[in-house]
Parts: sequence; C-alpha cells; structure tokens
Amino acid sequence: MWEKPWGLLEGLIIALGLIIAGIMLEITAGPVMWDAFAWPANIIALVTLIGIIVIMHMMRKRFYACAFFGTYTAAIPTFAVAVVLTIIMGLTRQTVGGTWIYDMLTFWPFVLIYVLMTIILGLAILKHITHFNYKRDIPFLLNHLGLFIALTCGTMGNADMQRLKMITEIGQVEWRALDQQQAIKELPIAIELKQFIMEQYNDGSPKRFASEVQILSQTGKNIHAIIDVNKPVEVDGWKIYQYGYDTNAGPRSRISIFELVRDPWLPAVYAGIIMMLAGAVGMFIISQRRTS
Amino acid sequence: MIWEYFIYFAIAAIVLWAAGAWMAWKDKVAGAFASTVCGLAVFSVFIVVMWITLERPPLRTMGETRLWYSFFLPLAGIIVYARWKYKWILTFSTILATVFICINIFKPEIHSKALMPALQSPWFAPHVIVYMFAYALLGAATVMAVYQISFKKRKLDPREMDITDNLVNVGLAFLTFGMLFGALWAKEAWGHYWSWDPKETWAAVTWMAYLIYIHFRIYRPKQVWSALWILIIAFILLQMCWWGINYLPSAQGSSVHTYSN
Repeated sequence: MWEKPWGLLEGLIIALGLIIAGIMLEITAGPVMWDAFAWPANIIALVTLIGIIVIMHMMRKRFYACAFFGTYTAAIPTFAVAVVLTIIMGLTRQTVGGTWIYDMLTFWPFVLIYVLMTIILGLAILKHITHFNYKRDIPFLLNHLGLFIALTCGTMGNADMQRLKMITEIGQVEWRALDQQQAIKELPIAIELKQFIMEQYNDGSPKRFASEVQILSQTGKNIHAIIDVNKPVEVDGWKIYQYGYDTNAGPRSRISIFELVRDPWLPAVYAGIIMMLAGAVGMFIISQRRTS
Repeated sequence: MIWEYFIYFAIAAIVLWAAGAWMAWKDKVAGAFASTVCGLAVFSVFIVVMWITLERPPLRTMGETRLWYSFFLPLAGIIVYARWKYKWILTFSTILATVFICINIFKPEIHSKALMPALQSPWFAPHVIVYMFAYALLGAATVMAVYQISFKKRKLDPREMDITDNLVNVGLAFLTFGMLFGALWAKEAWGHYWSWDPKETWAAVTWMAYLIYIHFRIYRPKQVWSALWILIIAFILLQMCWWGINYLPSAQGSSVHTYSN
C-alpha cells in the first residue's frame, strides 16, 4: 500500500478518510449551512474551487497526490462511494432539518465526497485541455465540462434562488408572497387575478387549471397573460408558475396560488445541460465508430 | 375499452417477432427483418389507436409504460441485429417483450382517462420514450453480461465485450437524454430542474453506476469479470429507479413522480 502508482484501494481509503473527516465536521460544526453561500459568497467559493483545481493541476509533477487525483484510479472509488451515499439517500426519508443521513444534502461526508468528485472532474478536464486533440476531446469536454458547469453553478446558485408562493384573489392586486420559511416578502412585481379557469374530466378530476392575470412591474411593465400549469410566464427574471387554487371550491375557486421563482444562475446551469446533451450525441456517434 | 382488443394485436405481434427471431437463427436475414418490422407495425397500430381513443399519449400508468417497453425492445433488438448480426438478440428481445405483454394481459391495471395537468407537456413523450429506449438497451447489455459470465467459462470473445460496451455507451447516451429532458421539463412544471426527489435521486444513482462501468472499462480493459459485475449491479439499481421506488417506504408520499393513485 501507498507504493506509487497508487491503486483503487488507495483511492478508496482517501474517499473513506474524507467520510471520517466529514463525520468529525458534522459533530463539531453541525450540518452544512448552504444559506451562507448567498451572493457573493458563492462566487468566491466557486473561484476558490477552480483556483484549487488549477493549482493542483500545475503541481501535478511536483506532488504525486495532485497527479493522482486526475486519474481514473482516483475517480472510480470516489464515484463508488458517491453512489453508495446516494443510495443511502434514496433509501431513507429525507426531510429538511433532518439529522445526518436524513438530510443528506447538508451531511458533510456527502458534500465532501461530491466536492472531491468535482475536483477530480476539474483535473480531468484540465488534463484534456493541455493535451487537446480534436476528435477525442470535443465530446469529452462537452460531457465533462458540461457536468462541471451544471454541478457547480447549480449547487452554488441554490442559495441565490428564491421560491415564493403568492396567493391572489380575483380583482385584487397582490405584491406580497411567502418564502419557504413562511416569511412575507415584498416583490418588485404585482399580480392581479382576473379570472380562474378550470376544466374537468367527467369524473371531476382536474383536466386544466389556469389563471388570467394582469402583471405589473416596478420597471413599468403591464402584461396581460394566461398562466397554465407547465407554461410559466417570465417577467424581469421572475418565472411565475400556476401552483394551486382553492381545491374545495374547484372550478368556482376565487383564489389562485402562484409560485414565483428567481434563479440568476439558471443560464449557466442550462449552458452546462446543453453541453451534456451535445456530449451525449457525441457519445452515440463515437461508440458506433469504435467498432467499425 | 381499447384494452379489450389488446390481446389480438399482442398475439399477432408476438407471432411475427417469434418468426423473426427464428429466421435470425436460420440466417435468413431479410426474413428476420421483414417479420420483426411487421410485428412492430402491428403493435404500433395498437399504440396509435390507443393514443387516439385516450386523447393523450398512453404513457401514464405502469401498464401503458410496459406497452412502450414491449414496443421498444424488439425495435432496439432489430437495430442491434442490423448492426452486429447477433443471432440471439431477436430471441431475447422477443422473450422480454412477451413477458411485458403477458403482464399487461394477465394483470390489467386500471386505465383511467384522467391525466393530471402537470403531465400535460410536450416534454412528456420524449422524456419517457428516451428512458424506455435506454432501459431496453441497458437491459440488452445486462443479458450480454449474464451470458458472458455464465456460459463462457474460459475464454471471452472480445467481440462480445465490444457489443456490450456499445450497448452501454448508447444506453447511457439515452439515459443522459432522459435525465436532462426531465430536468428541463421539471423547471417548466415544478419550478426547479433538480429537487432530489426520490425518483431523481435514484436516477442519479443509476446514471453514476453506468458511468463507473464506462470509466472502469477504460481504466482496466482486461478486467472483464469485474466490469460485467458492475453492469449487473447497475441494472439492479436501474430497477429500483424504474419501479422499485413505488414500493419503497421512504419514497411514499414524498415523490412527485408517483402518479399511481
């Protein structure tokens, strides 16, 4: 053991070591406080992470460990441990504010393993960029860089995301909404519910529900729109979703509930997702080429 | 109800697929193609008629998803056959498709007409169909793995490993499509592209398990045995994601993906 080159076992021990470190952190510092990553902390954290990856990449010839994290040997066991933790997450009932594995997203070992995976991913990307070869590396970069962007921007952007519920009543202008902690927030946009629309199947279950609204914004916009399930309306960076209604009143509901979502990091995440989609097409083509 | 006529279409399709599989063994390539494609045509007529009578894509209940699975298995089979002329593949796809047809015949589920508004989206069909295709291809890869582990005691044929790798690569490409289509749809329907809903958590597990296989194959191309076992474990995890989740206590009531009631 620990004779160079390191193998899967060494990689596994590093991952398990990280889990132990995570447990220590969980005991001493408590769960991961994602809310602390609100702007600008998230951009600082992201730049720091990329900085660490770049430094590790440059130090790969001086320190063996730095080179090791850019290899399959490091990636595979870390992947395996991440899968096991994610399986545990899938087998347990996750609740916000749950402890340890019952709120996996704030459980240090889980977070640290995913961070290590991101570092490995970053090192692999840098390795391919420094020895760039068109045919081989374009699908590779689309897949890996796309995942890196979606993963980091999605996670870091989470604290900046706002998800609010707004309850509107026919004929009244509403600009206040509730956040996930049920606190009232005042918004730069206001919604007036003109009409609640509902169609039903013969058995009375909902076929369609939507709201006819007038949306006013502080930037001076005055928009007439119909908001359907699956068809959100976007105003000034806010996506407005049809969320609910008075289910007891059904088609006669005089209220309509909207969810308002603002996610400034979304374009970056979508860029990553689109790269991965293109990478998947590339993978399809390449895998056919290899046999022929 | 349209399901009452299912048995006639199903029997016709099974007979045609079985004939195709038999001709593949007899090296009658054209016959195998013609027969399998005819079977697919018969089956797709049923799906289209069902689609029209239901006034929505038949993709909501387990029974309806099995319908697509029975359709895509022979389709995936004929594509693999076209490319690698593997004699047994049509037999395999026919048997599996028949199993799913039989489940539909002997365990008819309640097919209500109601489709909740959240499912009425242009993303619905691509999301599920792409996943079905991925499941069919990865299922085929798993059969290759089981076949290689159990029947080839001594020497492994590198061509068979090539086919397995190709099936996994193409299957994973489809799996990625399904997952990302799901993310884009979730943003439109639920306001967020990834919420770690139990179904999403298991989709991530499955996706990563196949990624391990692909990375391991590049890392140690000669350690075929371990790779094949990774493949089998990955497929078990896939079952969890696909239907096991419906029986998982931790997912009850907390998953937005369970539409069964």
